[in-house]
Amino acid sequence: MLSIKAESLTKEFKVFQSRPGLKGAFRDLFNRQYRVIRAVDAIDLSVNQGEMVGYIGENGAGKSTTIKMLTGILQPTSGQLLVNGYDPHGQREQFVRTIGVVFGQRSQLWWDIAVQESFRLLQKVYRIPEQDFKPYLDRMIEVLNISPLLDQPVRKLSLGQRMRCELAAALIHQPALLFLDEPTIGLDVLVKENIRQFLKEINKEFGTTILLTTHDLADIEALCSRVVMLDKGKIIYDGGLQRLRNEWGDGKKIHIETVDTYTLSQLQAQTEGMKVHWIEEGPMRFTAILENGNAKVPEVISRIVEHVAVQEIQIEEASTEEIVRKIYQEGLVHA
Amino acid sequence: MFQIRLFHEYFKQYMKTRLAYRWDFLAQFLTNFLFQAVNLVFILVVFGHTSDLNGWNQYEVIAIYGYFLIPWSIFSAFFNLWDFNEKYIIKGELDRVLTRPVHSLLQIIMETMTPESLIGVFTGVLVMGYGIYHLDLTWTLLDFFFLVLFSIGGVLVYGGIYTILTSISLYTDSKTDIQPIIFNVSTYGRYPINIYHRFIQIALTWVLPFAFVGFYPASYLLDKQEWFWYAMATPLVGIVYLGLGVFTWNQGIKRYRGAGN
Repeated sequence: MLSIKAESLTKEFKVFQSRPGLKGAFRDLFNRQYRVIRAVDAIDLSVNQGEMVGYIGENGAGKSTTIKMLTGILQPTSGQLLVNGYDPHGQREQFVRTIGVVFGQRSQLWWDIAVQESFRLLQKVYRIPEQDFKPYLDRMIEVLNISPLLDQPVRKLSLGQRMRCELAAALIHQPALLFLDEPTIGLDVLVKENIRQFLKEINKEFGTTILLTTHDLADIEALCSRVVMLDKGKIIYDGGLQRLRNEWGDGKKIHIETVDTYTLSQLQAQTEGMKVHWIEEGPMRFTAILENGNAKVPEVISRIVEHVAVQEIQIEEASTEEIVRKIYQEGLVHA
Repeated sequence: MFQIRLFHEYFKQYMKTRLAYRWDFLAQFLTNFLFQAVNLVFILVVFGHTSDLNGWNQYEVIAIYGYFLIPWSIFSAFFNLWDFNEKYIIKGELDRVLTRPVHSLLQIIMETMTPESLIGVFTGVLVMGYGIYHLDLTWTLLDFFFLVLFSIGGVLVYGGIYTILTSISLYTDSKTDIQPIIFNVSTYGRYPINIYHRFIQIALTWVLPFAFVGFYPASYLLDKQEWFWYAMATPLVGIVYLGLGVFTWNQGIKRYRGAGN
């Protein structure tokens, strides 16, 4: 079953353009100039139930606007959109019962009241029967380790504590689809790791579909098998993380330190017939650059160690972060 | 009904947070009370100089003012939309509201209510009772029924107009200062309408029908037959304006552009 089905989904904003200077401001009074901005430009997106999808893009690429359309906050300008079988904006009140939302930079909880009171209020808002509510919430409290925080008002919590409570609040009605907008922003490494672990468990246990936007690509690496990349309102990549690496990442590098001295050609001879480029970094230090997809690391290493006395081997791979940066800088020419 | 039960839950939560700040809560009560007392003093001062206000004597004006306080207090307890633009649009709280399965306007009313303003109902009944006591009127059970019906109608008129005004923020992202102006106009409804210029009378009846909040119903309760049909129309005007308000709001939500990213 499809969780999200979007066809040529588009959102345009009319933006008022002010003229410069006092004279311009005066003219603006009578004759306003507008410019139409396409924040999301005819995107197609299908997400299956149970998938974990990373939605990435630079600031202003249209990520938030897409999320807001998918969650029913904004009405699309044009295009077809079906989420959990509903039209998110048109059938908002029924639709939002089937989704959970966490906006990292904005609290979903009531600021002044204790966390457990927020949970109680949400129980009433979502009309969850007591016998369903209690065991599930207790489970959340245990897994997220938030029982010491329950009687604190939200405003007294640290960011990491708050985020764990936000997750519990977003999942209180057992939604089939969870939206996370920058869930790990500003958190320290340990909390980030806990949250990732928790999301994995939720996905595995309940089959919850998760769509997350993030600037921290480590979130994506840890969680998502699929990445959707957005640039200027258009999807420029949609597929596995591995394929992204293969297509865009430069080849892997193998750094080798030898015990005896060898010449460059001696090493080159070992990988004869493979698409490997050798560089001599210094005395007894060499680097093999493997051409993408054409040379396998294990094979190169096994050939080397057979004839060369090796002191140390290091394998280097471009990080997702570098790859993504490269895509933004170079645009689509590569593909 | 689900909505009423939910209202009750929000109310309980609100009281919990309010009672946590005891002195603040008490101060709020006192300022509300003082504010209404000042208005009453103003009426007394006016009648210190004249015994007659275009055919209305002091006790009648006091009774109208007292009546006006009833719908006005109920309104201000539940329609606290003054900082809607700031809090919900600019800070983006509306995004959160829109991801919950309850009508957005109802949620905002529940989140911003200040039930302590309801003390004004009590003050209003006292002031009105004081005026009527000096007027030699006989009150039947039917009059009490109309008092309740008209009060509800008045709250709906107020609520409708304010919902329309608040909805403006959903259509434009620039700040509007129209609310305080309208708020000033709204207080016109608590004096006899025939003391105003003809133009203002029409405006208070047909454009911004604040006369239906105070004067028209009160005149009926003071046994003035001249505005009988206006008084009877109060609940209808209330329903029409609330309907307009909700319609404007719903259209606005469709055009909502989201908080800045």
